[in-house]
Amino acid sequence: MLVILPGKCFEQKAACVFRHGNKFAIYPRSQTTSNTPIAIENQILDIRQDILLFTPILRKLVNESNGTYLSLQKAAETAKTSDNQVEFLKLSRQYRSIIRVCIENLQEAAAKETDGVNKNSLLSYVTIFYSIECIWHLCEILYVDNIPGDIVLPFLLEWVRFHFPCHEQTAAQLLEACERGSEDHPEYWDTVIGMVVQGRVDVARALMKLHSSVDSNEFKLVDNSLRSMPVYSIYGGISTGEFTISWKHWQAECRSKLTSRVLSSQPKLELIMRLIIGDYSAFESIRDMYTSWFDLLGGWVMFTSPWARRHELGAAAAACAGMTAAAAAPRTHLDLMVRALLDGDLHQVIHEIQQMSDNGWFATHLTDILFHCGKLKILDKHQTNVTGRLRDSLVLEYGCLLMEHKSLWSVGLSYLATCPPEGLRRAELILERMPLHSNAKAMRLLAEAKKYGLHELARGVCVCMSTRALGVDGGGGGGAGVGAALAWAVRARGGGGGGGGAACGRAAARALRAYGARGALPAADLLLTAGPHLLLHDTLLLLGKYCDFHRLYKNREFKKAGKLLVSLITSKIAPDYFWETLLLDTLPLLESDELIFSSEDTYEIMLCLELKSSSLSGEKADLLRLALVRNLARASLAGEESSGE
Amino acid sequence: MPLDVQGTFVSQKINKVKWIPEEYVETNCFLTGSWDDDVNSIKVWTLERIHEEEEDIEYPRPLSEYTVDGDVTQIKLIDNNKIAVSTSNGDVRLLEISAYDKKSPLREIHVWEKLHSFGSDQCSCTSLDNLDGDIATIGEDGNFNILNSRRGEITRTINGADSCSLHSVCFIKHNEVITGNFRGHMKIWDLRSDTNKPAASFLLAGDEMAATCILNHPTQPHIILAGSESGSLAVWDLRINSFPTSLLNAHSAGVTEMQFHPENPQKLLTCSVSGEIWDWNMEAMTKSTKGPDNQVTTWLPLEDKNAMMVNSLMPALHKSINTLHCDKGKIICGADNEAIYLIKNFKY
Repeated sequence: MLVILPGKCFEQKAACVFRHGNKFAIYPRSQTTSNTPIAIENQILDIRQDILLFTPILRKLVNESNGTYLSLQKAAETAKTSDNQVEFLKLSRQYRSIIRVCIENLQEAAAKETDGVNKNSLLSYVTIFYSIECIWHLCEILYVDNIPGDIVLPFLLEWVRFHFPCHEQTAAQLLEACERGSEDHPEYWDTVIGMVVQGRVDVARALMKLHSSVDSNEFKLVDNSLRSMPVYSIYGGISTGEFTISWKHWQAECRSKLTSRVLSSQPKLELIMRLIIGDYSAFESIRDMYTSWFDLLGGWVMFTSPWARRHELGAAAAACAGMTAAAAAPRTHLDLMVRALLDGDLHQVIHEIQQMSDNGWFATHLTDILFHCGKLKILDKHQTNVTGRLRDSLVLEYGCLLMEHKSLWSVGLSYLATCPPEGLRRAELILERMPLHSNAKAMRLLAEAKKYGLHELARGVCVCMSTRALGVDGGGGGGAGVGAALAWAVRARGGGGGGGGAACGRAAARALRAYGARGALPAADLLLTAGPHLLLHDTLLLLGKYCDFHRLYKNREFKKAGKLLVSLITSKIAPDYFWETLLLDTLPLLESDELIFSSEDTYEIMLCLELKSSSLSGEKADLLRLALVRNLARASLAGEESSGE
Repeated sequence: MPLDVQGTFVSQKINKVKWIPEEYVETNCFLTGSWDDDVNSIKVWTLERIHEEEEDIEYPRPLSEYTVDGDVTQIKLIDNNKIAVSTSNGDVRLLEISAYDKKSPLREIHVWEKLHSFGSDQCSCTSLDNLDGDIATIGEDGNFNILNSRRGEITRTINGADSCSLHSVCFIKHNEVITGNFRGHMKIWDLRSDTNKPAASFLLAGDEMAATCILNHPTQPHIILAGSESGSLAVWDLRINSFPTSLLNAHSAGVTEMQFHPENPQKLLTCSVSGEIWDWNMEAMTKSTKGPDNQVTTWLPLEDKNAMMVNSLMPALHKSINTLHCDKGKIICGADNEAIYLIKNFKY
């Protein structure tokens, strides 16, 4: 891919750095410094790969397949103890139906689209997903499904019929019209042969009945041969050996009919006979009728080795692929994948799938299901089994890709969570950096963190939200910020650790300073109900107790308030900036009509005042000293009175 | 007929759904509000049959889209064709759905921009509730507003109603509103009083988790239910408030929305972050019984709680179900897996 950088600033030199996710930035960079400032507008370009899966139609696929993926993980968990092949097959079908729905949606959108470029890209997505479904189906037949006796032929024929429906419509039309002399239809013979090659012998015979000379001997002969073809069934009660014998016998009979040259007058019938005895040149001669060799595969297997097991298909595939078409079409991706699949080389298959431009959706999900079915065995060059690692690396890659999307992050997370332990570590790193614009999102992130046991992340989110709330308060004023910061900080405590405590301290300090500046204590409603959470940090404890002091004072419970205040002063947990407030708060209590502080309390306050005299201005300190002395006098008198009695 | 569940993927995480009420025909249209995406919107949908031969299968089809800044946090119906919408950028909007042609886009009647804010910083308006045209809005700033939908005015603002962010609100009466905050602290506000002090306040539970939704009982207005972020469900009898009469450990993660069935108040529907949608039979819970001291108690004694009937309406999803709305036998719910689910043939 080549992009021409716009703007003059890139003409000299440009450099680039990786940003997070699949982004990188390009910026102008010049090594030489010039004295005269150059007047060009500098630009930084953010370049990002367009992710196909993030288009609205494909997001449906992403979300729906995520559900199936997670069900599959659950099924795999139970499969450890019991055989669960049926469940896997069900899920594989579910995946395929999801792909088909997606193809339908894409086609619908393409039909509505008027812009040529968009239409083309939609149609190219359709092609991609068609081949995905085709490969998946074949994989399902060969590796997921538990075929009785391993005889894959009926399934293979079904696959061909399903994905390469040729002549289907013509056949239906002809049969519906049911007219003698249908051979006048230009595609009559192509259709009959097509049906034979697809293994639909009954349809082919029904079509032949519509030929005007159906009563001729030649027709009767071919019809008879087709009718008497032995069909193997695992439940038919005969062994493969017996079947092979009867089948070979039948083919020998057909061959002798052919060599007797009774059919020479009817070249088309002769061709059919040659096809059913598995004549290579006959197959090769009709190769041009089809766009790919897949169309012939079913017929070839049917008429050469109907008892073939899945691991014997490689030879058939090689034979069919070898039939040269007149207009030799270049080998397509699909070709290579189907070949590799029939050869049983799953490593190659996955390698090829990764080249598809679907952002790894297919490779991830297919590898995962094959891995869980136990059908995947990939060895590295040291002959160690790396299947698990391959599956994990694909899932991790896919999960990380989804994490980049603003809305699909939770989907991505559920993928990463299925690859412990590395997946969750990666998730943690990405989620830590996720922008949090609202409490709702932060709370959802917390719920996810709890679900996956990411306690460190949960704490990080809480501390981050707490700090964010403090930042907000700096601008507007009012108590909301501090309250929210405290609430988040308290949440961060879960599981211990220092982050929560420090955040509590910060928020509490902010509250104390806010009180100092404005004279109203923020978040009083929170502090009065905080209970044991106050113990998380000294400053928070001070704040909580100080708030309690306010409450007592307002309720005119001066004795209790005084006691609390003295304990706050003597415990010396207050930060320096708060000493002034604490000490001055004693003034109204010292001056009250009723004696509140005992002489011991007064001594303590005096001591603290002298120790912290720097935090009060001279005038205030003097005033306080005076009040203290007067209170001491009152207290001593009262003390003497009580002791004298 | 058995319960019929049908999911449709919509490429948006759905945060709110609401049926659009109809006067004389069966409801067929609904609203969705999305969240947590690059562009969020409110969409009007209709249910329609694509294949004539399939009698019962109806697919939602979008009719119109109204994009908003931020996440849609709440949608409430003011009357049959007016809705109030709150968004995470602090705006509250009053929108009109055309009564004749649902295809025509939603029309703005009134917009209160930045009703909730942290000075110049953005602040989410987390929820709203309405009663007879009065709208109560709350936000992360801890403020609380009463709006008049007819005149488009702010009739009352309580700044700093809470020191934390508020997360749920519900009208109890015309003059009483209950709010729940981030720590599960519930406050009842008397709108007649001039002081900005709550008339009562109490805690949802001891675990300090947020109150995510509040609901009052349609026929017994003194009964209030609240859902918690922890997944539990609390019930209060406001005549004896301060402690919940029952606290039920319900879902395994946060309750996201609750609704009493409009036709049968004995049926409660709840959905949760854990991807569950449940139907509760509240008959046993709300039956009036004479207590031991001969006083009428509305709630069952503890030992009978096992008798409560709870059904799961749908196998649990792998992602959160954010919202539900029920109309007669049809329930619609929206989830974080970018799908909406239509549940039909619900017996009530």
